[in-house]
Amino acid sequence: MESLAHLLSGFAAALGPAYLAYAFAGCVCGTLIGVLPGLGPAAGTAILIPLTFQLDPTGAIIMLAAIYYGAMYGGTITSVLINVPGEAASVMTCVDGHQMARQGRGGTALGIAAIGSFLGGLAATCALVMIAPPLAKLALKFGPPEFFALMLLALCLVSGLAGRSLAAALLMTVFGLLISLVGIDPVRGAPRFAFGIADLYDGFGIVPVVMGLFGLSEILLTAEQPTRDIVRTRLSALLPSRDEWRRSWGAIWRGTGIGFGLGLIPGIGAIVPTFMAYIAEKRLSRTPERFGQGAIEGVAAPETANNAYANAAMVPFLTLGIPSSPTIAVLMGAFIVNGLTPGPFLFQERPDLVWTVIASFFIGNAILLVLNLPLVGLWAKILHVPFKYLAVGVLLFCLLGAYSLQQSVFDVWVMIAFGLIGYVLRKLDLPLAPLVLGLILGPALEKSLRTSLEMSAGEYAIFFTRPLCLALLIASALVLAGAALQVARTAWRGVIFDRAAERGGREP
Amino acid sequence: MISPVKRVAPKYFLGALASLALLSGVASAQDYPRRPVELMVAYPAGGSTDIGARMVAAVAEKLLGQPVVVVNRGGAGGQVGWTELSRRRPDGYFIGFINLPATSTVILDPERQVIFDVDAFVPIINQVLDPGAIWVRADSRYQSLKDLVEAARKAPNTIRAADTGILSDDHLAILMLEEAAPGAIFRIVHLAGGAAQMQQIMAGNVDVAFDNVGSIVPRVRSGEVRALAVLDDRRSKFLPEVPTAVELGYPGVISRSARGIAGPKGMPAPVVRKLAEVFKKAMENPEHVSRMESTGLALKIMVGAEYERYYQEAHAQAKKYVEWARSRPRK
Repeated sequence: MESLAHLLSGFAAALGPAYLAYAFAGCVCGTLIGVLPGLGPAAGTAILIPLTFQLDPTGAIIMLAAIYYGAMYGGTITSVLINVPGEAASVMTCVDGHQMARQGRGGTALGIAAIGSFLGGLAATCALVMIAPPLAKLALKFGPPEFFALMLLALCLVSGLAGRSLAAALLMTVFGLLISLVGIDPVRGAPRFAFGIADLYDGFGIVPVVMGLFGLSEILLTAEQPTRDIVRTRLSALLPSRDEWRRSWGAIWRGTGIGFGLGLIPGIGAIVPTFMAYIAEKRLSRTPERFGQGAIEGVAAPETANNAYANAAMVPFLTLGIPSSPTIAVLMGAFIVNGLTPGPFLFQERPDLVWTVIASFFIGNAILLVLNLPLVGLWAKILHVPFKYLAVGVLLFCLLGAYSLQQSVFDVWVMIAFGLIGYVLRKLDLPLAPLVLGLILGPALEKSLRTSLEMSAGEYAIFFTRPLCLALLIASALVLAGAALQVARTAWRGVIFDRAAERGGREP
Repeated sequence: MISPVKRVAPKYFLGALASLALLSGVASAQDYPRRPVELMVAYPAGGSTDIGARMVAAVAEKLLGQPVVVVNRGGAGGQVGWTELSRRRPDGYFIGFINLPATSTVILDPERQVIFDVDAFVPIINQVLDPGAIWVRADSRYQSLKDLVEAARKAPNTIRAADTGILSDDHLAILMLEEAAPGAIFRIVHLAGGAAQMQQIMAGNVDVAFDNVGSIVPRVRSGEVRALAVLDDRRSKFLPEVPTAVELGYPGVISRSARGIAGPKGMPAPVVRKLAEVFKKAMENPEHVSRMESTGLALKIMVGAEYERYYQEAHAQAKKYVEWARSRPRK
């Protein structure tokens, strides 16, 4: 238990007043970055790098890491309160979190998110300490073909997101994939569907699209119902009830497992684990019809998953020196600027630093909980603002957020356009989450497919000769077959999609 | 009292106004800068261009007397940022990093349909010159560049060689090696960047990687990877034991990535001079030098005619290989 001894001395160092202050400052900054939709964690971290030149390397890295996981939590707040994901990893939280807020349970949603994030982060850090290095080696086996198969599996699982009907979910997924084709071809470099508009060369930004689809459409829909204005939140109801605890407990542990497992694979991104965790809960639930109507598991699972992911993503970074997300790439820049090279040798050369930083992950997660639980009541008060004022605020927030992302007016138009599209889709009762999943997975799916084929000089056999890849493909086929069976069974009973709504996504 | 303006005839007045405007133009070049200067990076925050930009900006703003704000206009392999740089008013308040040969290949690739040309930018000062490197995993059976080339000759189109994107400097470097070693053909895999390359090399999904010295120095020192050659006319001071491809008998395999600051065409000469002077001082600042050194990025300050010449030469070299990339034999 050499690592335990190292960890203890790490704690001794990380609990010093200066490092505690850095971790605290990082958590506050991170939460703010998460709340502001225009500023993602990667950009936020990058901007603060020069600030950390003045600190010693350990302090700098503690602070930047705290910003990183602080942002993961911050994005939740706006998702729940006003249906605007502060950053992409909080998209899934909108679905049930905002419904909870509309039912006066916004405080509970934020509370369970804070607790879930804390437990997920804590468990993932424990796992990092104990089993990280061998797992990281295993995760490295994920080459482009495996990555492609995993993305395919994620898309097949989208049937689990089907609210009213499977067909609607698949339709929205394809719509998302089609939108993702706009922009520069990821391999050849040629523009597609850009019509000579330079702003379109980079495709549609995830954040403006998501803010429009969820946030703006919400305002439009609510404006149609003049009766709803003030949501009464009982402040006493910040902590989940006994029943809600019972429901959330399993979701939190499954969310941790999914977030941690996927976090080990470089390049997955924070959003896929949240989708997977949500789908898993819905599939496992005995009452899947509650999902989308304010199910607390629908908040607990993705929120836990994104924090477990954030901590697990440190594993390939610290042990192999491979940054697995844009934010971690920025963090890696900070390491290098400070004369440190992440990788297996860092553990040997600077164990003091590595273990102090790891200890600070535990402390940072605790700080986040302490910081956020008392604030939940304050945040929930926003829901007491009458709609006519709140709507103006949310609108401004979305407009500024879309603009500040890249200081681009074009993004503002994208946000508005997708607000209208979101409004129409929700009127038609079509689910929005599969669209976002398609939009996000599209480029990754295409790039991994084409890179795999470059590796094999065009031979498709590469997908069937690698065991892990083959297993994932078989799993995808099984998921699709299951979904098809479900549709067939429904059709057999002479009922097409409408009656399927009542059955929801129940297991075939 | 009669105001002097009323006494002059309107046409003189207009003339005076015009010359005043002209004078103020000169004046604005003299007391430049009067407001913050934006320094554009055509890549997202956190990449090595971005880090270099933030390091030099932190020093330069003290010398310039105005904040130097780094703005990231990432996307489309730099095309988004450079398009904006070419369109901005040439007043010295919006300048940006150009990356050679990346800026050139974006211009030269007809599929990109760029709206700017090579002379849309005025090169001001170069910061980094990072030579290319060919490297493999430490346990690879290719001990030397000769081994690699022999193997690529014996079994063409089987050795998976990773670059950092289509028409990147590393892609061009693979083409240069194929040209200098006739018969050797690689199976080129376009990866998204240095991190993806490191991952796929470690996992054994690609056999050899072409990247820049700055990306691999610490890994070579720690013994995880082996550099087979440096693609410069002299050895790198960061990897003095690694031979150059030229030394090994592959003349012309010289591929470097240069990062420097440029502005839109038409900037007043005094503004260009002032910027070159300030940034030169900033780049020579010991703090800047030591930070660049610690990241393994070779500082190479070039200003004026020297940088202008480098810019044109890099463009001409890129042109040759971009054309060649299209007609390259596959088997």
